[in-house]
Amino acid sequence: MKRKWIATTLACTMLAAALTGCRGETETETRAPAADASAGAAADGELEGEITFWHSFTQGARMDAVQAAADSFMKLHPGVRINIETYSWGDFNTKWNAGITTGDLPDLSTAQNTGEVVEMINAEVAAPADRFLDSFGRDRFSEKALGDMTWDGSTYGIPYYSHAQVMWYRHDLLDAIGAEVPETWQEFYDLAVKLTDDDTYGAAFSCSTNDLLGTRYLNYYVTSGGGSLLNDDLTVNLTSDLAIEGINFWVDVYKNCSPAETINYTVLDHATLFYQGKTAFDFNSGFMISGVESNTPEIAEFVDAAPLPKIHADDPDYSAEATHIPLVIWEKSEHPEICEAFVAWLLQEENYIPFLEAVPVGMIPAVAGISETEAYRSNETVQFYSNAVDVISEAIELGNAIGVDDHGASVQASYLTSQGIIEAMFQDIITNGTDVETAAKSAEDQLNEIFDMMIN
Amino acid sequence: MNMLTRLKRRMGEIGCYTYVTVLAVFAAFPLLWLFICSVKESGDLLANPTSMIPQKFTLANYHNVMVNLGLGTNIRNSLMVSLSTTLIATVISSLAAYGIVRFFPKLGNMMSKLLIMTYMFPAIVLVIPYAVVMGKLGLTNTRLGLVLVYLSFNVPYAVWLLVGFFKTVPIGIEEAARIDGAGRLQTFVRVVLPLVAPGLVSTAIYMFINAWNEFLYALILTSSSSITTLSIKLHTMQGADVLNWGDMMAACMVVVLPSVVFFSFIQKYIAGGMTEGAVK
Amino acid sequence: MKYKVKKDYGRWLWVLPAIALVICLFVYPLGSQVFYSFTNKTLIKSTYGIRGLSNYTAILTDPDFWLALWTSVKWTVLSLLFQMLIGFSAALALNSIKNKVARQVYRILLIIPWAFPTIAIAIIWKWLLNGIYGFIPTLLTQMGITGQLPQFLSTPDLVMPTLVVVNVWFGFPLIMVNVLAALQTVSQDQYEAAQIDGARKLHMFWYITLPHIRNVIGLLVVLRTIWVFNSFDIIYMITGGGPANVSTTLPIYIYNLGWVNKFVGRSSAAAVILLIILLTICAAYFCVLNKWEKEADS
Repeated sequence: MKRKWIATTLACTMLAAALTGCRGETETETRAPAADASAGAAADGELEGEITFWHSFTQGARMDAVQAAADSFMKLHPGVRINIETYSWGDFNTKWNAGITTGDLPDLSTAQNTGEVVEMINAEVAAPADRFLDSFGRDRFSEKALGDMTWDGSTYGIPYYSHAQVMWYRHDLLDAIGAEVPETWQEFYDLAVKLTDDDTYGAAFSCSTNDLLGTRYLNYYVTSGGGSLLNDDLTVNLTSDLAIEGINFWVDVYKNCSPAETINYTVLDHATLFYQGKTAFDFNSGFMISGVESNTPEIAEFVDAAPLPKIHADDPDYSAEATHIPLVIWEKSEHPEICEAFVAWLLQEENYIPFLEAVPVGMIPAVAGISETEAYRSNETVQFYSNAVDVISEAIELGNAIGVDDHGASVQASYLTSQGIIEAMFQDIITNGTDVETAAKSAEDQLNEIFDMMIN
Repeated sequence: MNMLTRLKRRMGEIGCYTYVTVLAVFAAFPLLWLFICSVKESGDLLANPTSMIPQKFTLANYHNVMVNLGLGTNIRNSLMVSLSTTLIATVISSLAAYGIVRFFPKLGNMMSKLLIMTYMFPAIVLVIPYAVVMGKLGLTNTRLGLVLVYLSFNVPYAVWLLVGFFKTVPIGIEEAARIDGAGRLQTFVRVVLPLVAPGLVSTAIYMFINAWNEFLYALILTSSSSITTLSIKLHTMQGADVLNWGDMMAACMVVVLPSVVFFSFIQKYIAGGMTEGAVK
Repeated sequence: MKYKVKKDYGRWLWVLPAIALVICLFVYPLGSQVFYSFTNKTLIKSTYGIRGLSNYTAILTDPDFWLALWTSVKWTVLSLLFQMLIGFSAALALNSIKNKVARQVYRILLIIPWAFPTIAIAIIWKWLLNGIYGFIPTLLTQMGITGQLPQFLSTPDLVMPTLVVVNVWFGFPLIMVNVLAALQTVSQDQYEAAQIDGARKLHMFWYITLPHIRNVIGLLVVLRTIWVFNSFDIIYMITGGGPANVSTTLPIYIYNLGWVNKFVGRSSAAAVILLIILLTICAAYFCVLNKWEKEADS
């Protein structure tokens, strides 16, 4: 009898040892020794503690620039440790949503856009950034960008960089058929159809449900007609004449000038087509340039940008979507002071300009004055594509996030892009031949139901 | 034996060879293609989608995934998680299976039926509650958390399999050992376990493969690249800033090739690991 | 000698770790899942209330749910059918190859797909089938079989068949290996006896081989049905359920409800329904298997 007890205890201990052994190691790696709430600042005011920073610059020069800034910050503040984790944009939303349940959240993160910050406010996980903004100077950021993240008098995000949606084209291809840069959607469509042959496509229309391209493209069209995807009471509007016209327009583009596969394409897959010279036109931000340069450098010189097309050539100028990528300090962070100091560090010229230069023209400075500095101006790419830079900067000035337009920031606006419902609607119309108005109505109902459940 | 029979047999054999050859091409081609693409340069990869011979042989993709992306860490994580899961699950479930067979002869049948029911629980059903539980235990983003989750899926199935193997052990042998003065656990370890060793090994391999390939829980429950497993790392590469197929091919190759080697060595054991015990 | 069962509390120690594990990590989560299915819990809000059966009615009246169920059935039946056919015939063919070295080489080649983690399966097949740079579409076009690059992962009629092919590719080796193992347990004496009786090959297969390995096959079918029905990652990683839900199976439907739309309550209800469906299927299967076992015993 006795032996058996000993043996069983032994087995249990073994097990426990195996388990704790495993855990011990993970703990030392994920959490630093002195991550104590009270230890935030030592007596002499020197920063001390550990923060986790999630960002979505998963590869290459941007990631390196952020890492370099973190390294120099840690050197300056030996008591501070910054753990950086990167997620693709596609996983980021799922990640923090899961984190609310699992408790695994960062101290500081980027967000996909200002709309996501509003989602974070709604979920009560973002902390106000007012203290930082006041000390750094609110007027150094775009008023619109801050407005998009302001809720009940507090601002919850710090703009990191900006970009805006414009039209990209290949002037070599346009020259070859003697065409001008299109100014209206109709001109664009005709040219795109003309440029579609065995090897090249006029333009791609993509609508993977894991991404927001369907919504983005529909929003271009609706905004160009002076409309909005949201009603004044913040319900969805996909059934206005303008929206229906827009849906039909993009379905035609898909059918007549886009590779069929793009129905499942995300932003990245989609942009890669243009990077590799497979499409003649595309709609995107300034990220196009570095994409083309790294994929097919031989066509880079033929790439340029123009404002988004209009419905009628004499319609007023507009911008459909300007995005400010914000930094967010999280509510649960035990070291907001470290986060703030680090954000200020990231935005300091010697760290900020190398970061922006990682994707020149792709990332337009969100801090006033940077674009006038010699260091920023001297970048070769910025100089070569100065026309594109101007077009994008103008679009940033004029534009807002999708669904924000006249209604101000709202959770609804953010849910428009994060649910994949408008994309599913496009897929339904394309794949099943569902009647456009029926599909639009059903998507509208679904989104409104989600608004009801999530917000009220 | 007349000519006709011989001819028939010959034809039959040729038929068999042809069939397995066709199947072998179907089965192995993706691996071959993976290799070819992993040593092509990225321009070549996109310009010549069907060329079997790289214009220029390069190991740059491998260098990139191992050195710049640090795939090694994730290989280690996957190994740690899968091995711990397998080890712990084997201990727990062999104890339980033996206990059921020897000490709960009547309840045993029902117990193992209940256990196999757990096998039909789709992973997707339990992912939200697990997220909650792991959050409460503070085990999110740890390898231990993953091990616990994998245990919960593997132990019931392993017990069920092992019950079949233990049933084949004749009780007489154990009694002889006990008369010689060995205790229960001693009998178990010294006498019974060696007899079911093949079954134990194939069960363990099965669990290892399950843990090694798992995706959903690792996706939801881990967040750091220093903690997470290979599957998640590969998944992340797909959504990276730059879509680099060459890198992805190299990374897949790094993952798949050792598995293929491992599989060809352990063939003997996997054969039947899934069902053998259960139908004995 | 029957083991003395009375007053032997020590015996519980053997099964205790397993029972504890199952209760903590299985019964409790399952219970909470069932509980959530009656609430309006969401992924991101901390407060929620009990809403009775409203989640269940919402799901049972959702046409997408029924579509997903139908897709799941197609996915399972087709995958399993072809996995069985190919796996079984491959095992028979391998078994009749007499050259030992050749047999070994073929065996290794044929189990290669099994060594692929799902994510690697997804990546390599997405690449092979890529509608612009993919090997298979380009080859088909170069050979003049198709006029333009076929779009395996976006043409609605092609998506499910393509996914099934990938799943068959991945799954047949497992069937093959198991059947092969079972075949080797059939004793040669029986065959020799039959041969003396002048039995034909087909007869031998039908009356000796098949009955002998019937249980293994039956069990394989049960286990694989469950596994394929539940499989989430392979479809999720290749098409994500698209385009337009044509490849959305029940597990993907549940995932999307919970993690994309963030309706934890509704997603839990769908999960409970999935579980009930599976339990019913398995109960039926096990009834048949039990009958077989009894026949074999008698």
